[in-house]
Amino acid sequence: MTFVTLPFFIFVAAVTLAYFLAPRQCRWVVLLLGSYYFYWTNSAWLVLVLLGTTWVTFGIGLWLQRVNDQKQTWLKANGELPWSEVSKYENRINRRARCILLLGVAIDLGALLFLKYFNFFGQNINRLLSGLGHGSPVPVLKLLLPLGISFYTLQAIAYMVDVYRGDERADRNPFKFMLFMSFFPQIVQGPIPRHDKLAVQLYEPHDFDYTRMCYGVQLMVWGLIKKLVIAERLAIPTNYLFDHFADFKGPILLFASAMYGLQVYTDFSGGMDIARGVAHILGIELELNFTQPYFSSSIEEFWRRWHITMGSWMKDYVFYPLSLSEPFTNLSRKCRKVMGKYIGKRIPAFLAMFIVYFLVGFWHGPNWKYVAYGIWNGVFIMSGILLESTYARCRKKLGIQEKAVTWRLFRIIRTFILVSIGRFFSGAADLRTALDMIGRMFMHWRDITFIYNGTLLKAGLNTANWFLLFVMLMLLFFVDFMHEKKVSFRQVLDEQPLVFRWLIYIAAVLVILIFGYYGPQYDAASFIYAGF
Amino acid sequence: MREQLLALLDEIRPDVEFEKETKLIDDGILDSFDIISIVQEMNDTFGVRIKANELQPDNFNTVDAMIELIEKLKRRA
Repeated sequence: MTFVTLPFFIFVAAVTLAYFLAPRQCRWVVLLLGSYYFYWTNSAWLVLVLLGTTWVTFGIGLWLQRVNDQKQTWLKANGELPWSEVSKYENRINRRARCILLLGVAIDLGALLFLKYFNFFGQNINRLLSGLGHGSPVPVLKLLLPLGISFYTLQAIAYMVDVYRGDERADRNPFKFMLFMSFFPQIVQGPIPRHDKLAVQLYEPHDFDYTRMCYGVQLMVWGLIKKLVIAERLAIPTNYLFDHFADFKGPILLFASAMYGLQVYTDFSGGMDIARGVAHILGIELELNFTQPYFSSSIEEFWRRWHITMGSWMKDYVFYPLSLSEPFTNLSRKCRKVMGKYIGKRIPAFLAMFIVYFLVGFWHGPNWKYVAYGIWNGVFIMSGILLESTYARCRKKLGIQEKAVTWRLFRIIRTFILVSIGRFFSGAADLRTALDMIGRMFMHWRDITFIYNGTLLKAGLNTANWFLLFVMLMLLFFVDFMHEKKVSFRQVLDEQPLVFRWLIYIAAVLVILIFGYYGPQYDAASFIYAGF
Repeated sequence: MREQLLALLDEIRPDVEFEKETKLIDDGILDSFDIISIVQEMNDTFGVRIKANELQPDNFNTVDAMIELIEKLKRRA
C-alpha cells in the first residue's frame, strides 16, 4: 500500500473519518493505530526494527532527561559553591550525558549501518582481501531493509541530541512517542521531522476544517500529477537512455541525465506533496522539503532548496558540531598561522562540509556512486566559496551587473547543467558507468540532431507522449515560478467561482486518470527516495 | 564590545549593514559558513566558547542578540 494506490486513499479516508469521529483525547491513538497498520502492511515483521529503534530512543531520551534534571537540581542547590566546584560537577555530569547519548546513537545508527551497509562493507573488504590472496571471509547476508529506516534513524538521533542539549524535554508517554516515530505520511520518505515541530501537533487533537481539507486534497492531487503523469513518464526514456548509454554520445546523454534529475524531483517532491496533503487534512503541518530547487543560481543554493529537512539535519547535527568542535577549532588556529587568515579560517569549515557531503552521498545508498555524487556537489560548493573573491574580481572586470536578469538566468542554467551532470552518479548503475557516461557526453558535444532525427522516439515514448511531457513540464515550471513569486495557488483558487473551481478539480483528477502512466514498466510500489 | 563586534562582522561580510538588519538568519543573509566564521572570531576576540547548540537564529539575528549571547557566556565563564 504505497501513496499512489487506491487502497492508500481508502485507508486515508478511513483514518480521517475515525480521527474526527473519535473523542478528542483519543485522536492521537487513531493516528498511532493507523500508522502501525500502514507500516505493517508495507513491511510486516520488519516493524520490529522500527519498534526496537523507537524503544531504545525513548529510553535514552528518558535517561538523558533524568541526568539533565539532576544537573539542574544540583546547580540550583549548589549555585553558591566556588566556580571550580561547579565546573568539576558540570564536566562530570556532561560526560555522563555524552556517554548515554553516544550509546543511543550507536544502537540506532548501528541498526541502520548493519542492515543497509553490511554487505557493502563486506564486499569491499572481500575485494581487498581476495586481491591480497586471502579469499572472501565476509559472508554476504540476505538483509531486508525496513521501510523508511534511513529517515527515522536520523529523526531518532535528532531527538536524542535535542534532549541531550536541553532544547527538548523527553517524551514520557511511550505510545505517544511511538506515534512520533511512525506517523504514516512521513515515515516512508520524510520530511525528516524535529520533535519540537511535529510531536505537539500529533499529540494535540485537531478539529475538522473543510477549507483545510480542500487544501490538503489539492496538495495530494498536485503530488499525484507530479508522480504519475510526469515522473513515471520521464522514467521511460530515462531508463532507456541510461540502459543503452553505450549506443549514444554527446549532449543526448546530458539530456538523459537532466531528465533523470527532473524525474527524481517530481517523484520525490510529488511524494512530499501527498504526505503533506494527508497530514494537512488531519490538521498537521509537515515541513517543506523543496522550495523550487531548479531556480537556484548556485549548487550551494540548490542544496538549500532541495531535501531541506535533510540539509538542515546535516547542518545542525554534523556541520555545526564538527566545525565548532575542539579539534576543528585547533586546526583552524594552526591553519591560520600557516596559510593565512582567509584560507586558514575556512579550512575546518570546508573539511566539515566535505564530511557532510560525503555522508549525504553515502546516506543515499551503499554504493560508491553515491559517495561520488556527494563529493561532486561538495567540491562545487567549496570551490564556489573559496573562489568567491576571484569570481567577484572577474565579474567586475567583465562589467557584469550582479542583479541583471540575464546574469541570474545564466547562473540558473549553469547550475541546472552542473546538477544534471551530478545526476549521472546517482542515476547510473555504478560509479564506472557514471564516469563512462560523462566521458561519452563530451564526445561529439555539438551533436544536437537527436532532438529532431527521431532518436528520442525510440526511447519508449511516442510523439504524443513527448508533447504531453513537454506540456506538463511547462506546467511544473509555471507552478514553481509562481511559487517563487510567492503567489498562493490555494488563495487564487479560493477566489474563483464555485463552478470554475470544481471544473479545475475535475480536470486535475481526469489528468491523473487519463494521463497517469500505468504502463508495462509501471511499478506502483516504487518511489525513488523510499528505496533510500 | 559593540565596536569590536561590528568590526569583526564587517570584516566577514562587508556587504551587510549589520546595525540595520533584524533577521540576519531568518532572512538567509548569513549562511552557515558566515556563522562559523563569526563564531570563530567571537570566540577568539571575546574569549568565550560558543557551542553548536547555541547556534540558534535568536542568538544571531541581530547585533544586540549576539552581544547578549557573548555577555551570557562571559557571565558563565
